Amino acid sequence: MRRLAMGFIPLTDAAVLIACAERGFAMAEGIEIELHREVSWANIRDKVNVGLLDGAHMLGPLAIASSLGLGHVRVPLVVPFALNLNGSAITIAKDIYTQMGETGEDLSRAPDAAKALGRVVAARRAAGLEPLVFASVYAFSTHTYLIRHFLTAGGIDPDRDVRLVVIPPPFMAESLRNGLIHGFSVGSPWNSVAVDADVGRIAVLGAEIFGWVPEKVLGVHARFVNTEPDILRRLVRALNTAARWCETPDNHEDLARLLSEPRHLNLPADVLRRTLDGRLHSAPGGAARAHPDYLVLNRDGASRPNPDHALWMYGQIVKARQGEWSQDAAREAISVYRPDLFDLAVGAPSPLPAPAPDCVATQFGEIFDAERFFATGE
Amino acid sequence: MANDLSLRIVIVDDSPVRAAILSEGLQEAGFVNVLRLEGVHNLLERIYAIDPDVILIDLENPSRDTIEQMFQVSREVKRPVAMFVDQSDSQTIAAAIDAGVASYVVDGLRKDRVRPILETTMSRYRAFARLRAELEEARSQLEERKLLDRAKLILMKARNIDEQTAYGLIRRTAMNEKKRLVDIAQSIITAAELLR
Repeated sequence: MRRLAMGFIPLTDAAVLIACAERGFAMAEGIEIELHREVSWANIRDKVNVGLLDGAHMLGPLAIASSLGLGHVRVPLVVPFALNLNGSAITIAKDIYTQMGETGEDLSRAPDAAKALGRVVAARRAAGLEPLVFASVYAFSTHTYLIRHFLTAGGIDPDRDVRLVVIPPPFMAESLRNGLIHGFSVGSPWNSVAVDADVGRIAVLGAEIFGWVPEKVLGVHARFVNTEPDILRRLVRALNTAARWCETPDNHEDLARLLSEPRHLNLPADVLRRTLDGRLHSAPGGAARAHPDYLVLNRDGASRPNPDHALWMYGQIVKARQGEWSQDAAREAISVYRPDLFDLAVGAPSPLPAPAPDCVATQFGEIFDAERFFATGE
Repeated sequence: MANDLSLRIVIVDDSPVRAAILSEGLQEAGFVNVLRLEGVHNLLERIYAIDPDVILIDLENPSRDTIEQMFQVSREVKRPVAMFVDQSDSQTIAAAIDAGVASYVVDGLRKDRVRPILETTMSRYRAFARLRAELEEARSQLEERKLLDRAKLILMKARNIDEQTAYGLIRRTAMNEKKRLVDIAQSIITAAELLR
């Protein structure tokens, strides 16, 4: 039986890959998955590159950036399966959140929360205070683009008015407590961990900014597609069955327990259960901030890699000035996402209505014009 | 060459022993500006302050992602930083990752100037891994001896036999069942605990 070495970062959205390996879905397709817990996205990329890993749980934008050779050596990656959509949130330090409330804006509405933060930032600038520092988990990540969009919508220039840094998720809560950062954009369950530690408040769920945004994917080296097409088909089929199982609410308790094991996420099962159910406490013991699309694992075509999403991610890379625009690069970014490989394994789905107003269902702020961006880079 | 030996090298490694082994190796090779950074907080600020030519970081260090962000915010860095190895160097990347280390150097620094640093780093990392494996082996041998002693004692008490007979019994059983001595010893201990 072919044994595949697969890397993951301890996050709730590694669920589909972990369940696939540990709940018999891989075995049913005649393959075996050996899970490797990794400590950095850089390690994931490098180990897939040199073949120590056959594939991995990966940030969508990392797969795009690596394939384009941005920030590092070029590693041609292919995405035959999307592990989830959404699943992030933005957490703000308690004192800043209190100041946001004092602006009089309605913090339960995401666009108004953005405005409130904008006013706090402006007031600090007027008072000559140091700029606020916000963290995400990796330069090329949806988390980075979420917080940039949120800040921009609040009238904040993410490159001038604040500082953006990268901190590994397990250190987020502590950095917030120490005052090294004032907020962060991260995947579950680390927002809930910070809330439970009473160091921050969940200000906005990712799904309240982008309703249908790419997040983690299965990334494999491009050579995998040519050398072992049959194994790849089995892997995609196994992941798809696992994803369906993971999204069924009846299985959430079992899944939360599986993820909480020390060798996987090593975190309390009840915290993981809340994030799987999309019910997050925004303050300790407080009311839940719930969203039906908080974390999407399989339904409505979520597992099928959508090339529009790849273009959107490249668009964010260009907007954040992490890479220069060229139409060739745009084409290459799109080609990283391979719905054809997905269809080959599990069959082409019936067409679904496209999200509005753009491919990531932007809820407020600037809308992504895919055609214009592809043609002009603007 | 004197110029190369003054290159500023930063080591980011949570293992004090490994960092010491590497730093010693680089100093033996003549590099005089070798600095070790600890902890995760304000790592970037501290790196900016040193303004290194080369950064060496162990692969199990989560701060790799923090350091890689420097490539995106070059306006914050005095000099742009890039990965040392270029496209043609996939073997070097593989060797470095195999040794458990990643390296970043300022853009424009010629490869041949950095090669001795990387070679020393990889050989010291490999030496450390060997050392650790040997220690691990010694420890597990000691553990196995302890288990065997406990199992012998249980048998000696239960069956009123001497040590040599007890050992012979364990060895015979291991041979008959095609198992290791330590596995039989472990079964005896487990059984004794269950029957207690």
